[in-house]
Amino acid sequence: MNTIIPIGLGEYKVSTCPTEILVAYGLGSCLAIGMSDPRANVAGLVHAVLPESNGNGSNNPKFVDSGIRLLLADMMGMGASRHRILIHLAGGASVLTIPGYTQTFNIGSRNIAAAIRCLLSERLSITSKDVGGNNGRTVRLYVCNGRMTVQSIGQPERTLFGP
Amino acid sequence: MFEPNLFSLIQNITEAGVSRAAEGFSGMVGEVITTTYPSIQTIALKDILEKMGGPENEAVGIYIRVDHGLPGHMMLMMTYAKALNLVDLLLGEPEGTTQTLGPLERSALGEIGNLTCSFFLNAASDITGVNAHPSPPAVLVDMVGAILDVVVAVSDNISERGVLLQTTFLRHQAEIQADFWIIPDRDALNSLHLLTDVP
Repeated sequence: MNTIIPIGLGEYKVSTCPTEILVAYGLGSCLAIGMSDPRANVAGLVHAVLPESNGNGSNNPKFVDSGIRLLLADMMGMGASRHRILIHLAGGASVLTIPGYTQTFNIGSRNIAAAIRCLLSERLSITSKDVGGNNGRTVRLYVCNGRMTVQSIGQPERTLFGP
Repeated sequence: MFEPNLFSLIQNITEAGVSRAAEGFSGMVGEVITTTYPSIQTIALKDILEKMGGPENEAVGIYIRVDHGLPGHMMLMMTYAKALNLVDLLLGEPEGTTQTLGPLERSALGEIGNLTCSFFLNAASDITGVNAHPSPPAVLVDMVGAILDVVVAVSDNISERGVLLQTTFLRHQAEIQADFWIIPDRDALNSLHLLTDVP
């Protein structure tokens, strides 16, 4: 019997429990960063809201950069190997567009750029991604096998990575 | 964040705004549309998700950004089914006529958001003497979480609270309850604080 673990805005979780499914519901401009190390049977998901902490709140998963680093540290603390970790990105949509307000509402693309920058600086590569666009997404990460899926309204759940 | 004096001021603005909005809708459709006395409460932004049936629920949001004297966000929000009913009510069609939200229906909903916000801001301006400029409306049809993400992000604080007005639009026997969210920026709250002499 699987257990759904909702990951709310600005939250993250790392799990070694194979029956758990980590779920970030209804992502718009927010970015979900999923990590897994199938050999160590550990997986984690962060639901980041804003791009960069800029030194404020370096332990706050609300930010993409600090969220990635927190997730990475906890993954390794629970047995994951940095060289085996698979990284997946989903979200960062532009759901809200108003002419003349592009700068205010381009948070989705800024979140994606922040994730790429942070992962580059950590010398980590992205295994799979489904980012941008104009639609919201629900993201699921299956701890048992590191499978990550994405689902939008009216669409079936589709596998971004994994079996 | 919302001390009693400030809440009372917002309540006065709301009552005036909603009653003027009803007049505006009636003028738009050429028939009497009334609105009920709105219930007002403050609520954490995070809790809006559950109020709307969960972050994955399909909803319609009519969003307007407000700038200048009273900066903040305004959002008329309802479930997809209620949005269809509201279009029927506005267009004078029997309930159940509208099945999808195409460009015409979205435009009608955008106009409702526009009118609601404009009347609210006019009332706010009359009462406070502070002017505010609304953006054009954006009609969003998506998951509740996705609709609210940007508002939460630009509010820059997940624990920030917003004001929820629940009012009902009535035309003949038809009635639609809608949620109207007002999420003021800090600058707007500071302006209102000065008016209520709250330190």
